[in-house]
Amino acid sequence: MKPLRSRGQGVEHRVQWNLRSSLQKLAAYGPLLAGFALSAEATPNANPDLTDPLWMVGIKAFLVIFGLLTAFAYMTLIERRLLARIQIRQGPNRVGPDGLLQPLADAIKSIFKEDLVVSRADKVVFVLAPMISVTFAVLTFGLIPFGPKDAFFGYDPWVINLDVGLLYVFAVSEIAIYGIFLAGWASNSKYSLLGSLRSSASLISYELALGISLLAPVLLVGSLNLREIVEWQHQNGWLILYMLPAFAIFLLTSMAEAARTPFDLPEAEQELVGGYNTEYSSIKWALFQMAEYIHLITAAALIPTIFLGGWRMPGFMEQIPLIGGLFALPYLWMFIKIALFLFFFIWVRGTLFRLRYDQLMVFSWGRLFPLALAWFLLAALVVAFKWPMAVLGWLSLLSLVVFSAYVVLTAQPKPRGLPRMGAGD
Amino acid sequence: MSVGFWEILALLLLVGTGLAVVRLQNAVHAALALIANFLVVAGVYVALEARFVAMIQIIVYAGAIVVLFLFVIMLLSAASANVGQDLLPRLPWVAGLGAAGLAAVLVYALTRFQPPANAPALGGGLPQALGPLLYDPEKWLYALLVVGFLLLVATVAAVVLIEPERIISATSHPAHPRQDQKPTPPMTEQKDGKAVVKR
Repeated sequence: MKPLRSRGQGVEHRVQWNLRSSLQKLAAYGPLLAGFALSAEATPNANPDLTDPLWMVGIKAFLVIFGLLTAFAYMTLIERRLLARIQIRQGPNRVGPDGLLQPLADAIKSIFKEDLVVSRADKVVFVLAPMISVTFAVLTFGLIPFGPKDAFFGYDPWVINLDVGLLYVFAVSEIAIYGIFLAGWASNSKYSLLGSLRSSASLISYELALGISLLAPVLLVGSLNLREIVEWQHQNGWLILYMLPAFAIFLLTSMAEAARTPFDLPEAEQELVGGYNTEYSSIKWALFQMAEYIHLITAAALIPTIFLGGWRMPGFMEQIPLIGGLFALPYLWMFIKIALFLFFFIWVRGTLFRLRYDQLMVFSWGRLFPLALAWFLLAALVVAFKWPMAVLGWLSLLSLVVFSAYVVLTAQPKPRGLPRMGAGD
Repeated sequence: MSVGFWEILALLLLVGTGLAVVRLQNAVHAALALIANFLVVAGVYVALEARFVAMIQIIVYAGAIVVLFLFVIMLLSAASANVGQDLLPRLPWVAGLGAAGLAAVLVYALTRFQPPANAPALGGGLPQALGPLLYDPEKWLYALLVVGFLLLVATVAAVVLIEPERIISATSHPAHPRQDQKPTPPMTEQKDGKAVVKR
């Protein structure tokens, strides 16, 4: 039942209220303040990016940020408990029932700890760096659609609906790198500087493979808008079926972008006493952690949106009469998929160990990047010659077979350079 | 063209950040001001309904290019980014003259500019509308190819210029050379100052 309200077509809205339309744009794009304000003159009325009234957008933006921060707090607990389970330990279970209040205790602790600012640091940039990290981490999540139109109490379940959606994701995540970069430089410490140079170099390298891996799906769908990508998948089947290599590369590179375990050089405690955030303490350090987890949650929401049908349930389940109606809730599937990927990330962290720096770079430039490029060229061929999309499905299957054969047939890597230990030695 | 509050704000921000880039004595601070400048330019592009260009502006310029600047600043001058002097008075008067001339030309062009009557609708400057225009052989395809080729040549030239004499293999760690190959010869002397890799 749709509540009565005026949206776009109402009489009030036809009045060219410049301030309002410009404010809508300000809310939508955050950092691009002045320029968006300009557009009040250019397009006085229609703003296709914001489908809801401004106050609603504000509420949703607040909800997204609040939700992300809560999710961050409890992700730390869930991660520690799950890791403990993987390693046959107990994990934090003292504060509150089953340790449920642990995030609260952590928050209080990190706020009331002494906040050190290194005396010879560049003070302004030192304070600015964690703020840049968190701000640009939060900005992406508003793009992700959580359900059909009007599913959020009669309003749309997304904050902004950008036609350049994926490009915006890239732009924001590129700027987010500056947080790490500036933190290391402003600390005026060699460990921090080396750590930040190293981790920003790796982040930039993986950004490249990430961008190219997404070119192929965008080419097939013909849109950068996340909503249109979800709709396309509803009509043609999930993109993972056509784009398995792209999915694999995107999954790996998103883990690298969020600095997760096989790629978590930013946290290399053994080598650089913590890397770029060595000199940071208390809440500023927590802000970096926050940014990292928010990147992780955003990645866990972006991957299913692009490759796994977004907020829709699996296609075959819609055919089943009873379940199809029962589970057709708008938010349920998105949350299930996000949780699935978050669990996957934690599982990987519990299983794999950290790569060395040169291994990390070779994996990005030598493996992922050419692979992404080759798959993009294949997909471009299929699209250009208008071959049926099933070709891409078969190619995906073939790539899976080839990859499995490669893993099975190649021997276990021997340790290089170390003297071989024979059985009798 | 009407000049309102937002146009003036954008102008002030652009000029302010631009001046900060030139005037700030700390190279990293200047790079930050440059990022701010690029963000404002991207905002102006969005306001002009050129969204694809705006996003590319952020990704390429504010993202990639300034990162490159920062890498150079941090690695070359050994993390002491403070130049310690105001560079503006040292600029030769030719540069000032050039800037003034450019400004004059721009103002002149602005007063004389007439938008073409049959400008194609670019659909908010989205790639769906820009792509066919750029890759149409009758429109801009060859210009695009030429520009791309030029960039490729420049990249190859840059790589050739800085190529060290010894090929560094990223896969084999110098501390642990492979068993099945000869140990790499010691790094050759930098002969006539051609090799650029130092330290």
